Amino acid sequence: MRQLASTPGVQRIAVGDRDPDRAARVARSVGEPVRPEVGDAATWGAADVAVLADGGDHLLHSRRLVGEGVSVVSASGDPHDVAGLLALDAEARQRGCLVVGGAGFAPGLSCVLAAHAAAGFDQVDEVHVATVGTGRPAGRGRHRVRGGDACEWVDGQWGPCPSGSGRQLCWFPEPVGPQDCYPDATAGVQLLASAFPGVGRVTSRVGSRRRRERLAPHLPGLGRPPRDGRLGALRVEVRGRRGRVHDTCVLGAVDHWIVAAGATAAVAALSVAEGRLGRTGAGGLAGLVADPPAFLGELWARGVKVAVFEGTATSTARSSESG
Amino acid sequence: MSFLRRTVLALGVTGLVTAVLRLRGTGGVPPQTGGWRELSGPDFR
Repeated sequence: MRQLASTPGVQRIAVGDRDPDRAARVARSVGEPVRPEVGDAATWGAADVAVLADGGDHLLHSRRLVGEGVSVVSASGDPHDVAGLLALDAEARQRGCLVVGGAGFAPGLSCVLAAHAAAGFDQVDEVHVATVGTGRPAGRGRHRVRGGDACEWVDGQWGPCPSGSGRQLCWFPEPVGPQDCYPDATAGVQLLASAFPGVGRVTSRVGSRRRRERLAPHLPGLGRPPRDGRLGALRVEVRGRRGRVHDTCVLGAVDHWIVAAGATAAVAALSVAEGRLGRTGAGGLAGLVADPPAFLGELWARGVKVAVFEGTATSTARSSESG
Repeated sequence: MSFLRRTVLALGVTGLVTAVLRLRGTGGVPPQTGGWRELSGPDFR
């Protein structure tokens, strides 16, 4: 909200919430051009773009908005939400609007980093994403999927693997550093698999600092995610070929989860409103962002810093088989 | 009775070893060379 409000050229931001008082408080705290909106998201037919960042039913709101020809940016990382949003592709194309799924920290910034890293390869073979931390409302979704089967994309098809297996030590930018990470079912895998046709393998892992989750990662989370999202970290490893040479590119980011997610969603919304994504339909940021360096540059200007690992990366494939 | 005690003991030792590995073990080897470099404005042009 603050990211959008501080952008020159944004004339009006209508904020809605299931609790009208909360929407009014948010509007007052940010000030112009933010105003509280009476009614739910389905009534916002006059908007250039709608940003869905609450814990509500993103798919239901998106269907209504797309039906009115309004472009949608959803910050939900829930695999079911994202699958439904991607299924709106044909209708969005028909109505000339865009549906961006998974526009948060991960998926979201992770997708842009993957696209940026992939631009340096002739052929992308593998994409591996690892994260630490959660933000609300994504944290609730993350807890929900942690108890189920984690999914990875292998040679053109989904490969289930039991949660809790495949532990891997992932090296994040400081101050997070090394974290044990476990396979996780996030929407990032399906978004990246759809963005890179022919990719051999896409995996997603999540790190945990809690001892109970390390002992029994297959059990659902007991506590609620921290309200402020706290510090999150992201690591994206892309392997591919340049000519006949196989190489690896590792990009990462450390930031407060909800701050980085909010900035990513805001930049995505501005890109949609200004027509910078260049097409209509539904997809993730890896497939929709035509100029990843410009997108990351805009995030950098808003305080979201990313880093590149320069050195010898660890082998994800080998360590993931060690269980 | 002796069989039951041995079974309980074996399960207990297995659980203990599993817990130690889960809490103290690591999933790989850290990189020996290199490090992170923050990207800035010129890297995005």
